[in-house]
Amino acid sequence: MGRSLSIACAPFSGGIVVARGTTTVYKPAQEDTVLEVADLTKNYGSRRAVDAISFRVRKGEIVGFLGPNGAGKSTTLRMITGFLAPSAGRIRVGEVDAVRDPIGARRQIGYMPEGVPLYPEMRVHEYLRYRGELKGIRGRGAIDAALERSLRSAQVEDVRDRIIGQLSKGYRQRVGLADALLADPPLLILDEPTSGLDPNQIRAIRALVRGFAGDKTILLSTHILPEVEALCGRVLIVHKGRLVGEGAPGELRGGRGGVRLLGRGELDSYRAVLEPFDASVKLRREGELVAAELHLEADDAVEEVFRAVAKAGLVLRELRPFKTSLEDVFAALTTDESERSGQSSGEEE
Amino acid sequence: MRAALTIAKREVRSYFVSPIAYVLLVAWVYITGLSFYLLVTWFATNPSTGGSNNPLTMFFGQTVLFWIPLLLFAPVMTMRLFAAERASNTLEPLMTAPVSELSIVLGKYLASLVFWVVLWIPTLLYVWIVSRYGDIDLGVVAASYLGVFGVGLWYMAWGMLASAVASNQVVAAVLGFFVLGAFFVLGIAEFVHYDLTREILGYLSVWSHMADFSKGVVDSRYLVFDLTMATLGVYLTVQVLSWRRISG
Repeated sequence: MGRSLSIACAPFSGGIVVARGTTTVYKPAQEDTVLEVADLTKNYGSRRAVDAISFRVRKGEIVGFLGPNGAGKSTTLRMITGFLAPSAGRIRVGEVDAVRDPIGARRQIGYMPEGVPLYPEMRVHEYLRYRGELKGIRGRGAIDAALERSLRSAQVEDVRDRIIGQLSKGYRQRVGLADALLADPPLLILDEPTSGLDPNQIRAIRALVRGFAGDKTILLSTHILPEVEALCGRVLIVHKGRLVGEGAPGELRGGRGGVRLLGRGELDSYRAVLEPFDASVKLRREGELVAAELHLEADDAVEEVFRAVAKAGLVLRELRPFKTSLEDVFAALTTDESERSGQSSGEEE
Repeated sequence: MRAALTIAKREVRSYFVSPIAYVLLVAWVYITGLSFYLLVTWFATNPSTGGSNNPLTMFFGQTVLFWIPLLLFAPVMTMRLFAAERASNTLEPLMTAPVSELSIVLGKYLASLVFWVVLWIPTLLYVWIVSRYGDIDLGVVAASYLGVFGVGLWYMAWGMLASAVASNQVVAAVLGFFVLGAFFVLGIAEFVHYDLTREILGYLSVWSHMADFSKGVVDSRYLVFDLTMATLGVYLTVQVLSWRRISG
C-alpha cells in the first residue's frame, strides 16, 4: 500500500495524459486514425456510467482498455459497436460517424462481446456461415472463403463440425474470435477476451491476438494487468467512467522505480546519505542492520546511491533495484482517496 | 432485407431443434383432434343442426376448444424470439451486426409466421376426413385458412412485441397471453353490446372474424384489421429495440 501511495502523489510526466476531471481536446482526426472517440458519455437514468471519455486508436495499434469491474469499459465498447446509443459525444470509425451511421460503422468492426454469447444449438461452421451472411458477405464462394480464413486464423478448424454448446470455454472464445474476424474488418473490439479461461487457454488467445498485430487494429478491454503488459502497445485506464490515465505500459510505469538496501551502520547516517535522493525515504532497523526503501527518478540513479553510501563509509549487504509495476500505477489511479486512506466507503461501482 | 431472410432461416431452425416446438405441436394436434372428434360426434348425433354449419366451419374458430388453446399457444410460440436472446446475451452479437432493427424484427416475425403455418398443417387431416364422408367446398376451406393466417399475422406480431418488452421468456408468454386475451375478451364483448359499440367490438373480434371466414365469407375489413395490427406490432417491436439501445 505504501508504494502505491507514493506513486499516487508523484506527478505524471512525459507523454501521459491524466484526464481526471478534465476534458481532453483532440486535434482533428489524422489519416491513420481508425477509431476516434470524443466526449463519449452514457447515462443510465441519473447514473453516469461513462463520463466524457475521449481517445484515439491508430492503425495497427493494440490498445488495452483497462479498469476495475464496473468502470464503464463494456459500456464504452458497446457504444462504439452500436449496441448502445451514446447519451452524448462522438464516435468515428474510419471515415464513418458511428452515431449517424451505426450500420456503416459496424461493417468495419469485428466485435467479440463479453462472455462470447453464441447459439449453443448450432454447429461451428453453421454459426459462422450465418454470421457471414448477416455481415453482408454475398455468395456461397465468398462465405466459404471467409469461413475457411477465419477458422484458420482463430485456430478452430478442428471443431468446425462440433455443436457449439459442447465446446470448451477456450474453444467458444476462439469461435467468437473467428466470428469477429469473418468479414475481415480493420478494427477488432474484444471485450475481456480471456476472462474465465485457464492459463493455457489464456496463452493461446493472447498468442492469437498478438498474431493479428499490424494487420488489424485492436481495442481490447481487460482488468488483468499482465494481459496489458503482454499484449498492448498502449493502455487507457478508466475508472468510474472516466479516463484516468493513458500511455504505453512502460510510459505509465514512467521508468520509475527505486532501490531497497540493507546495510550495516547507524540509521541516521543512512538517512543523511539517502534523503537527497528521495526525501520520503523509508528507513527501519532490522536487527543489526538498517533497511531502506527509496524511489528514484532515473534508472542509473541506483549507481549514484551505491557510490554515495560507499563514500560515507557504510557497508552494504544488499542493494536491490526494483521497478514500479503497472499494478501500482493502476491501483493508484483507480483507488479513491477515501479507500486509499483506509476509510473505504464499501461502495463498489 | 436479405438479412431478414438470414435471420428467419436461423430462427426457424432453432424453433425446430428446441423441444418446445414439438411439445406445442403434439399438444395442438391432441387438442384440435379432440375438438374435431367432439364436433363430428355432435353433428352425427344431431343431424338436424346442419344448415350452413358443418364440423369444419364449427372447428375453425367457433368453439372455445379452438380459442383457449390458441390464446395460450400463440404467446408461447413467440416468447423466445427476443426474450431468450436477451437472457443468453446473444442479442448483443445480433444487434452489433451490420443490420437494421427492422431486418432483425422482420426476420424473427417471418420465422414465427412459418411456425404458425406449420401449426395448421396437421388440421388438413380433418379437412381430408370430412371430404371423404361428405361434400366440402374448397373455397370455404381456403377462406377458413386465410382467416386463420390473418389472425396469425397479428397474434405473432403482438406475441413478438411481448417478447421484446419482457425480460425473460416466462414473462413474455404471460404478457403476450394477457394482451391477446384482452383483445379476445374485448372482441367477444360484442355479444353483450348493441349498436355502434357492438359494431366496433365486432371489428376487433377474432371470433366474428373467424365466423365469417369459416363460412367462406372473406371480409376485407377483417384483413385490413389483421394487417394493421400486424404492422403496428412490428413497428412497436422495432421501437422497443431502438429504445433499448438508448436506455441500455
